[in-house]
Amino acid sequence: MSSVSQELKDTSVASSKWLDAHYDPVANLYTFSSCIALSDLHGDGENKLVVGDLGTGVCNMKLKVYRGIGLLSESTLLDLPTGLVSFLMDLHEPRTPAIAVASGPFIYVYKNLRPYFKFTLPSLEVNPLEQDVWSQAKEDMIDPMTLKEMLEGLRDKAEIPLSVRSLRFLMLEPQEMENFVLLNKEQPIRRQTVITCIGTLKKNMADEDAVSCLVIGTENGDVYILDPEAFTILYKMSLPSTPTLMDVTGQFDVEFRITVACRNGNIYILRRDSLKPKYCIELSSHPVGLVRMGKNVVVGCTHETLHGYTQKGKKLWTTYLPAPVTTMALMDLPTRGFQAVLVGLANCEVHMYRDKNLIGTIKTPDVVTSICFGRYGREDGTLIMTTKGGGLIVKILKRTAVFDDRDSAPGPPIAQSIRLNVPKKTKLYVDQTLRERENAVAMHRAFQMDLSRLRLAAARAYVKALESSLTPMSASLTEPLKMNAVVQGLGPSFKLTLNIQNTAASRPVMNLAISFLYDENLYSMRTAFFKIPLLVPGLNYPIDTFVECLSDKGISDIIKVFVLREGKSAPLLTAHINMPQQLGFSTEPPKTESFSITGVQRSLRWP
Amino acid sequence: MADDAMKTDVQLPVATDLKKPRPKKAPEFPILERRNWLIHLHYIRKDYETCKAIIKEQLHETQGMCEYAVYVQALIMRLEGKIQQSLELFQSCAILNPKSSDNLKQVARSLFLLGKHKAAIEVYNEAARLNQKDWEISHNLGVCYIYTKDFKSADEQLNLALQLNKHDLTYSMLGKIHLLQGDTEKAIDVYKSAVEFSPENTELLTTLGLLYMQLGKYQKAFEHLGNALTYDPNNFKAILAAGSMMQTHGDYDVAMNKYRVAAYSVPESPPLWNNIGMCFFGKKKYVAAISCLKRANYLSPFDWKILYNLGLVHLTMQQYASAFHFLSAAINLRPRMSQLYMLLAVALTNLDDADNARRSHEQAVQLDESNPLVNLNFAVFLYNQGDKKAALLQFQEMERKVNTQVENNSSTEFDPEMVEMAQKLAGALQAGENFYWSKPGKDGKTSQRSSSSKPSSSQQPLGTNQALGQAMSSAAGYSKSMQMSTEPEADVSRAPSPPTVPPGDPEEEEEEEETAKLTEKKSKPKAVAE
Repeated sequence: MSSVSQELKDTSVASSKWLDAHYDPVANLYTFSSCIALSDLHGDGENKLVVGDLGTGVCNMKLKVYRGIGLLSESTLLDLPTGLVSFLMDLHEPRTPAIAVASGPFIYVYKNLRPYFKFTLPSLEVNPLEQDVWSQAKEDMIDPMTLKEMLEGLRDKAEIPLSVRSLRFLMLEPQEMENFVLLNKEQPIRRQTVITCIGTLKKNMADEDAVSCLVIGTENGDVYILDPEAFTILYKMSLPSTPTLMDVTGQFDVEFRITVACRNGNIYILRRDSLKPKYCIELSSHPVGLVRMGKNVVVGCTHETLHGYTQKGKKLWTTYLPAPVTTMALMDLPTRGFQAVLVGLANCEVHMYRDKNLIGTIKTPDVVTSICFGRYGREDGTLIMTTKGGGLIVKILKRTAVFDDRDSAPGPPIAQSIRLNVPKKTKLYVDQTLRERENAVAMHRAFQMDLSRLRLAAARAYVKALESSLTPMSASLTEPLKMNAVVQGLGPSFKLTLNIQNTAASRPVMNLAISFLYDENLYSMRTAFFKIPLLVPGLNYPIDTFVECLSDKGISDIIKVFVLREGKSAPLLTAHINMPQQLGFSTEPPKTESFSITGVQRSLRWP
Repeated sequence: MADDAMKTDVQLPVATDLKKPRPKKAPEFPILERRNWLIHLHYIRKDYETCKAIIKEQLHETQGMCEYAVYVQALIMRLEGKIQQSLELFQSCAILNPKSSDNLKQVARSLFLLGKHKAAIEVYNEAARLNQKDWEISHNLGVCYIYTKDFKSADEQLNLALQLNKHDLTYSMLGKIHLLQGDTEKAIDVYKSAVEFSPENTELLTTLGLLYMQLGKYQKAFEHLGNALTYDPNNFKAILAAGSMMQTHGDYDVAMNKYRVAAYSVPESPPLWNNIGMCFFGKKKYVAAISCLKRANYLSPFDWKILYNLGLVHLTMQQYASAFHFLSAAINLRPRMSQLYMLLAVALTNLDDADNARRSHEQAVQLDESNPLVNLNFAVFLYNQGDKKAALLQFQEMERKVNTQVENNSSTEFDPEMVEMAQKLAGALQAGENFYWSKPGKDGKTSQRSSSSKPSSSQQPLGTNQALGQAMSSAAGYSKSMQMSTEPEADVSRAPSPPTVPPGDPEEEEEEEETAKLTEKKSKPKAVAE
């Protein structure tokens, strides 16, 4: 039954470069590329997957460790993990790497999956004036209202922003201030910031298993390099904006280079021996992913573009992507000397780029939110992805897979070979063409003749309408009026409503009258002539009257309505109302059409 | 154990706080910015729903004091089109942090989007005081000045932006200013440096190509359009422009290949179908040409170029009654174009309406300034009518136009068929002694061409071909510039057939910037044939 589709599937699997190792759509992972690492946690030569899971985004944050396709362990995190790295912190045997989880202002270091150390970011400098004000408050030298005024003055001018406590104080109602000051005045003022990204930097050797320092970026735009053993700050640099993505290369003791993408849409390149950024790349949109490939930096931007830059910030190339970027990662296969950039896109695809050339595409069942490529278990080329819906995908690169270095983008677009949609010539068309050729002159003359007649007829009708004011809009300049008529009812009694509107800008219209002209054998009207009140411009005046149909033969006629001006015989407006046929019957109920009795109950009530 | 001690220390600091809230101790304030990174991360991934949920929570926690959360919320609102609300939020951001030029920039941006350009300029200037060296401020100031029509300041600011940092967007804005001022040369200079800076931007390449095309520098135009197509083979504008240039050179098949790509991506473009139709016309597939042109006309019924082409094709097909309709429609839309009247006159001649044909010819001659063809056609018409004297006058007028053209540009090439016709007419009118084309020395080039390229096409009288199939294969001679010949009635035996050569080039190039020229002058619709 499904042999054909099976076969198709086989060929597609065979032609694919990846083996589907594992897909768990309900792994319940909410994480980002910065919170995933592959690490040989136990020193047994088998890499585990360590994931910092954001849980629901509010609670239930977990540090999860996967081995193979199963969850190995799970431990609770106190706050949202911002970043997670695995690094070797000392030279002790066995060489088991530690895991550093950045979250809020802290870094939690785990060894053997057990909490080992907690690093806290140094507090920020507090505005000395603010400190002064609070110490005065502490000694009860100033009352809360004065405190508030002074703090407000500080907030508007100060170079250093106020602490959270002062800001919170400024938002309080006057009656709450007293308590707040009492409660807080004993505490020292602190200003803290949070970590926004984390990376590692080899200390003094380039080996794979060399000791690494932690590099962290903070919300207030500082970059710290921490000593791996003592967790003291070795180096501090500052940026003009908040870092969001970071790439670190080199060795701390020799020379290093930190590429940081910032929230203001710029990329800064920091180097040893300079406290300020050495180079700056201004992007035209926000960077979503930052990957270093060899000596170049590849940046994916929100405007669906992928840019290549040199280490010194010179633009090399730009590629346009089919969908917004969600995440990026480096695909590095040192054994084959192969490197590529993996770009997760919002259209459920992962593209592989080598420089600006697309060398492969992976379709995924959901939008990928994080990508990690490396050694997992004992398999070198493993691609791990998590999806927006919380799924976990593990794919293994086939050992036979070969990536063509050339651009795999197609040469001429496929559309070039699609036939144009041009209709075939039909026999009818040929016949008509022949006819026109033979009789062109006659056709032309007949046409011109008819055209002239048509114009004449139209002109006559127009003149006639103008003469008898048949148009629904009055053409006169002094009385610009608009009228429409509605007939309601099933008969033989009808309600006739005339809506009259004065369309002048400001002038009211007075001294108007309405008169009806109808066949007196067919219809009777209670009032066939009445005056119209003064018409205020812009308002709609509904005027009702009743018409009774006298005939029982089911015939209908036209009732003409004239809007007249007193003292003038020519009407301003004329309307012809096509009266509907009455549906009921008046005096004699029909004997055969019994259905109409139920249908037209209303007319039976009429005497 | 040390590890265990650490464990409790690490895992439970907040938890203990929560469990035993000591009433005397002041509560820890959560850090305002603690989730900024998460907000940012969701924002740049365009996951706005999640982002809004996080912002809401964050604002709840900090009682609206988290500046970044408000900022991103305003950004998202602006993306959702709630510009006024976003403006208010940005203003409250600016109150929370009056030192930040970012907030002011966004306030100005929202003002700009609301169309309050003057207010935006003020706020941008304020932001510029906080941050001197920001290309974005200068760029946006420049754009605001464009909208307030202060091109000088706009030029200044955009150049300043370029000095600070080069961006493609700034270049294209600067180019736009020069185009708005009508200074194509300067615009080309700007686009040239833009293309140097980012050689793969197809938008810039295409614009530059089109500008060169406007100036008639076809070689350069083709170069840039070709480059644009290399980087993006689906670029509609570049395809259309390059295709029309190929068409002028007679590469109909190549042009068709390109158009197929364009037709796939933009199937409802009137200029595209017009060009495809004219490709078919060039390949002498008249029925296909008519159906393509009719589609173009259906998509854009008021485009006189399409109507002109339709008239032309119908004249070729000897469907004079239809041709008349298309041409008179075109004239109603574009009442000041001599070629249209000339074609109409040809159609009327064939419809046996000599009076109106004469009037139409007169109108054409009156409107025309430099096209000898108009006079030649009129002369042939007059000759056929037997009015030799008037014909001679028109013939002399034609000679005058030819001579001025030759004087201005000696390398002007005239259409061989037209030259041939003129020579015949000169013989018939005995007016050829001092005629330019009658001198064999100068004429060598053109006559050679005419003999080699078209040995017999226009010699045979076509009026006798009544069968459609025959007519289709032989109808008229086409050179690269697409001419067509109409034939006199069979009874005017001695008369040479008057060729009517419409300007081949202009009606093929149907670019976006061309349509801008199509300002309708409906003042006096000339009803010629009534």
